[in-house]
Formats: sequence, C-alpha cells, structure tokens
Amino acid sequence: MIDFERFTLANGLKVIVHRDTSTPMACVNILYDVGARDEDPERTGFAHLFEHLMFGGSVNIPEYDTPLQIAGGENNAFTSNDITNYYLTLPAVNLEVAFWLESDRMLSLAFSEKSLEVQRNVVIEEFKQSYLNQPYGDIWLEIPKLAYKVHPYLWPTIGKNIDHIKYAVMDDVKAFFKKFYCPNNAILCVTGNVTVEEVKALCEKWFAPIPMGNPPKRNLPIEPPQTETRKLELERDVPASAIYKLYHMGKRADKSFYIMELLADILTDGNASRLYVELVKTQKLFSEINAFTYESLDPGIFIVTGKLLDGVTLEQADAAIQKEMTKLLTAEVEKDELEKAKNKVEAQHVFAEISILNKAMNLSFFELLGDAADANKEVEKFFGVSEKDILDESIAELKESNCSTLYYRAKTK
Amino acid sequence: MPTEIMLDRITMPGLALESKINIIQATSHSLPNGVPVYYVNAGTQDVIKIEVIFRAGSREQDVPLVAGSTNSMLEEGTKKHTAEEIASLLDYYGSFLETSVQQDYASVTIYTLGKHIDKALPILEELIKEPSFPQNELEIYLHNNKQRFLVDEQKERVVAAKNFPSLLFGDTQPYGHKTRLEEYDGVKKEHLEAFHKKYYTPGNCAIIASGRVDEKLLNKIGDYFGKDTVGVQNFEPLRNYVPHSAKEKVNFIPSPKKDSVQSAIRMGRVMFLKTHADAIPFQILNTILGGYFGSRLMSNIREDKGYTYGISSSVIFLQHAGYFNIGSEVGSAVCEAAVIEIYKELERLCNEPVPADELQLVKNYLRGNFMRSMDGPFALADRFKHIWLHNMDYSYYEKYVNALSTITAKELMEMANKYLQKESIYELVVGKKK
Repeated sequence: MIDFERFTLANGLKVIVHRDTSTPMACVNILYDVGARDEDPERTGFAHLFEHLMFGGSVNIPEYDTPLQIAGGENNAFTSNDITNYYLTLPAVNLEVAFWLESDRMLSLAFSEKSLEVQRNVVIEEFKQSYLNQPYGDIWLEIPKLAYKVHPYLWPTIGKNIDHIKYAVMDDVKAFFKKFYCPNNAILCVTGNVTVEEVKALCEKWFAPIPMGNPPKRNLPIEPPQTETRKLELERDVPASAIYKLYHMGKRADKSFYIMELLADILTDGNASRLYVELVKTQKLFSEINAFTYESLDPGIFIVTGKLLDGVTLEQADAAIQKEMTKLLTAEVEKDELEKAKNKVEAQHVFAEISILNKAMNLSFFELLGDAADANKEVEKFFGVSEKDILDESIAELKESNCSTLYYRAKTK
Repeated sequence: MPTEIMLDRITMPGLALESKINIIQATSHSLPNGVPVYYVNAGTQDVIKIEVIFRAGSREQDVPLVAGSTNSMLEEGTKKHTAEEIASLLDYYGSFLETSVQQDYASVTIYTLGKHIDKALPILEELIKEPSFPQNELEIYLHNNKQRFLVDEQKERVVAAKNFPSLLFGDTQPYGHKTRLEEYDGVKKEHLEAFHKKYYTPGNCAIIASGRVDEKLLNKIGDYFGKDTVGVQNFEPLRNYVPHSAKEKVNFIPSPKKDSVQSAIRMGRVMFLKTHADAIPFQILNTILGGYFGSRLMSNIREDKGYTYGISSSVIFLQHAGYFNIGSEVGSAVCEAAVIEIYKELERLCNEPVPADELQLVKNYLRGNFMRSMDGPFALADRFKHIWLHNMDYSYYEKYVNALSTITAKELMEMANKYLQKESIYELVVGKKK
C-alpha cells in the first residue's frame, strides 16, 4: 500500500507525493506523456534521441549531470513506445537541487548543436550495440512490423533505421520540445524522506512559473484485427534457431492485460511452469522458453519464444508450442496453477515497494493511466482473474488467425 | 504566479551541510552448532531474505564448471522432491530462490514474505542438505548451458570479459580460468556429489538474514540449520596467491562474427586486496576515471566523441587478489582512436592534479552513492557481506566516509602514478582486424 497526496498546479502539472521516512533519500520522477508512438513515421527514434538531448544542458544550466552529482544525486531515463520517463535519487536534504534542474529543462533546453551531434552518434552506437552487433538483436526490429501494420507500434523505440537518427536536425528537436515538453503534458512524483508541504512550496517556486503548453490530442491509427496467420522467416549466422509467436491482446488498462500476464507466468515462469516442464524438461526441444506481454497503453502483443536445441526443426518446435496453445483453448488452467501465479504477483508487489524509485515510477505511470490510486489496486485486479477468464481470453486471442510466427533460422555451417 | 521576485534559475540552490551517515550494522548471532548468523532487522515491508553462504566458489573446483553446476543443480531435485515439486512448493507462496556462484563463495538465497517463512525454510534446508543431482536434470542443465555458451561466444563483449581475467591471472590459475566448450562434457554426477559433500557443510557455512528479522526467526533458522554437527572445516585458504599474468601486454582476438560493427575493449591490471591501504583512495581515483556517469572516460569518449554508448571502469576485489578494468564497446572504425583516448586519460591522471571542483563533485557524488548503497534492508545486508568476505569490519566504511572528506588531489595523483602507468596496463581488443 502506497499512501500519497496529489495536487495540480495552475499550469496543469500533476504532482504526487509519497512520504517514506525509513530512508534518508528522496526520489523525483517526471513522466512526459510522449513516446515512440507519437513520432512522425519518417522520423522514428526521435523520442528516444530527444531523451538523450535532455541531458545536454537547459536554458539556464549548462550541464545537467554535474550539479546533480555535486548534490550526491544519480539519475537516468528511459523511453518506451508510450512514455518518456526521467528519474533521479539524491539525499533528501538536497531536494531543491532536483527541482531547480528538472524545472529548468521543462522550461527550455540549451539546444546545443554540439550536443545534438554527439548524441546522434551515441544513439547510433546504442543502436549497433543492442540491435545489430548482438546475436538475435535484429529480431526486435522485425517483430513490431510483423505484428503491426498501421499502428505506430510497428516501429521500435530506437527507430526504424539508423538513417532516421543520422539526419535529425535542430529544428526537429525544437519542434518536438515545444510540442510535448510542457507542464500539462507531464506528471511529477516525489517519494522518500520529504513532506507534502515542502514539495508544494518547491513546486510553486520552481514549476508554477513555467507556462502551460498545448500538447496535441493523440489520434493514432487503430490496428485492425488480424484475420489470418502471418509468417516470416529469417536466416542468420547464430548458433541456434529461435521461434517467436506473437498474438494480439488488449491494452494495459484492460482486463486482458491481467489475464495474459498471469498466463505468461503459468506458461514459462520457473521450473514448475507448463512449457518449461513440457518442452524443455520432458520433450527436450528447447534450451529456453519464455512468454511475456508488451505492457503497452494501446493494444499490445503476447509473445511466446524459445531457442531450439540442436537437431530440432523449427516446424517441430512450432507444432509443439501450438499443441500447448490448443490445450489452453480447450480446458481451463488448474486452480493451483493460477493460485500460484497470483501469489507470485502479490509477493513481487511487496518486494517492489521496498524501493522509493519503484514507488515513484509506479505512481506516475498509474496517474497517466487515469489514477495513481490504481497502483494500490493492482494485486486485487490480478486476484480477480478466474480460470474461466483465462479460457475465454485464450479462445479469443490464442488462435492461429491472430498469430504471427517468426522463424529465425540458424545458418547451417 | 510569483511575479514580483525574479526567480534565480542560474545559481544552484545551496547544499545542506554534510550530515553524519547512519550505518545500520549487522548483528552477529550463533546457532546452537556454531554456524554464524548475521542479521539486519530493518525496512518497512514484511519481507525476509536469507542467504546461506558456503566457501564453495569456483576456485575450489578441481574439475572446471563443477562449483557452478553443483550450486545450480541444488534446485533440480532432492531425495524427497523433483525439481518441479520444489519450484511448485516455493512458487505457491510467492517465495523465490536464487543460487549464485562467485570465485570465492557460493550461495543459496531465499526471498519470502514474512507470513510464508514456515513454508520456505524447510525447502531451503532440503535443497542444501539433500540434493540428489538427478542424471537427467544434469544432462539438460549442461546441454542448455552449452548452447548459451555458444550464443555468448558470438558477443565481443562477453569474449573480452571472459578472456581478460585469464590475461591477468593465467588460464590455469584460480580467478583466471576461461571456460571452454568441451568442459561441459567433463562434468559428471560424481563430481557434484563429491563437491557438495566436501564444501556444503555446516563448518563451511554462514548465514546472512535481512528484512523483518526477529528472535522468532533466528530460532527458526536454528531449527533448520543449527542442529547438525559442524565437523571439520574443509576450506583451504589460498596461500601466497601469485597471479600468472600474460607476457604480452597488448592483445587482440578477432571478432567471432563476419559482420561485426563494434569492437569490445578491456584494459586494466592486477591490483591489491581490499584490505590494502591504497584500496580506498584508488577506488576514489577509479570513480573519477570511469566510475560514474560524469567520469572522464564517459565525458571524453561518449559525451565528447560519441564513440560509444557507454564506457566504465571498476575495481574488483576477490579474497586473494584484486584487479582493475576498463570496459567498453565502440564502433569498429573508432576502436583505435578510443584506445588512444583511454591512455590519454590515464596519463592525465598521472600528470595533472584533479581540479578542486571535480574532486569536490566526486566526493559529494560518492557520499550520496554511499547513502544509496545503504538504503533498505537487503542493501544493508550486502554492505555487510562485502566487508565480511574480506575479513573486515565496519571500520572500513568509517574509513571510506572519512576519506571522502579528506582525500587530496596530491594523494590521488600519487595513486595514479603508482598504479596507472601505461607500461603496467594490459589491453585486449575483440573486434575487426585493422
């Protein structure tokens, strides 16, 4: 249970405060309601590149990291298809330094050409490191466009290709900032050894003077239902073949999400999970097998993937997974299997609440979804899922016509 | 809107005066049979972590991979339960298990909600005391790890990370051995049984508990781990450990991939033990060089040149040796330039005192970082473990915090000259031939 207070500034900035006196630290999390899904299809990867530029100095402060480190702080950020999230932790006694820094870069950036040039290169190296120079790395460039045909989830957060990053210019950066980086497109959450009064005063001082912006109303193309099975085969120089099966599912706020998360646990989480026991241990077809969901704000995908053992064909592997999926369409999961998955979720929530950073990210995320208080209702929502819900959802989602299959074939030597 | 007073956005808000950092220390307790338990009772959540540590690390093994296989196989079956049953019993209560092997020790850790501790402890006991190492499970384990090994061999970063310690310590020496594919075929059930029998004994064991730990819990731990006779300590300390470093300082391994676009760089050298008088000042020096986001390596090679997504350096302390290493993955075309820049940064530390503002920044940053590293019950338990493993006490942290106030640029330059001269640095590049 995370207690919090919430208020909104006149310029539209939403603020959440959670007090935890067991720590000497404070955490400041700012979520901007912009992600890769908001990008121009011809300029993909921009939200993420922009995240890097947010560290290149703001209008009054030439460097972001230096003063924060002087204050004993540490920070990072991430960009997803849906959001861009910046966070820092520092000794609570130096909280004002965080407000000074974060408010200045919400006010305006330095827009330095040098920073743009360098961060373009850094992001290109990141692209290479994660997607090109990694065995199996390019799978994450292929999967989105296999599953999505019109919705912007069809490109990955890093961008469709390196050229989109290479040719980003300062005018694009300025326009992006103006469009999305304003108080009424952000959620600020402060957790740790702080008081609500203190946070209110700091917000009035540092954030209230920032003028309201005019973020665009989101109007994204809706992905039409998939009606027939899709297949893609790639051949690469990797030691073992891999298979990916993607199924369209609901969005984060839907019941579908809770159902599919539990199902993913039942299928592959731990040594007693279904697919692990059946396909890894008993049939010895895979060296590893995983199922998980895209935790996305618009309708997402459920992925089942495995790496094949030597001598197993992709067709055999595919048939074995399909057989397991068919079981889910014809019979409810065992009561014990579901109970187990729910208990795990509960424990994970309790463990996650040890960290003020996790709490700050969670409260911000649920506020974006509609209500920070929902962060405390998650476990309840998972516990509300029944065996029948899983059966119904499986029948609706896990059919072959809703599935895209990627064969990632190892080149034979 | 507060318009009357212009807000000063240029000047950084004043910092609070350094306050004393409050370190919650672990308390020591002894089970009836003498097995030591160290515990930290802290935190707000009803959670418990129990780590059972054995001196059963990879340096004890006579047959490669046996220490790791023994440790991982503990959860693959006992005399009473199959792997699946063990996992089910834990999963059902949301408890989870972590097995881990380092060079010097191995551990089995259980995380559980306080309310389920009675379900978790008997399983923890069973898999530590009565593993059966079933043949079928062992084969699957070895086979699947062999495949993971093959995937890793395709990654420049992993190849560099595996080969670098063997350059420093020697491939046939403890701490330096590099795993080879064929070694997976040499691991037999008998090896695991013998290793378990010798090293997973009460005399070779210590327990660290953290979270909501009270007397009741300590008694329960005693019920499961405090009754067997301790017996002899089989652990034999490494005496006068001497690394067998490679002769060649500059080393190159061609990339495993044809279409490689990045090279991995490792540079570094053998250092001293954590107990050495230079350990603390050198760690501060390391932070300046490559130990935080604003470090010189990051500022130069990522933020100024854009050669890499990340570069860092670290000091690793093992029980009988220590080493320093710099690691990065850089664009193939700029690899040579990056290595030159790294040497420049080492040279700069040797020749120029660290400017006062940079030093102050690093001291403040490390202070904040130290507070972060002491935050929460599990973090506190880890801080304890990291002194205990080196036979040190909390005075180490007092010295560390003290050094953060008192260390001077002159001392740091001495450290650099003593340890970071170019001639002493080993270099390894895994990538494309020029």
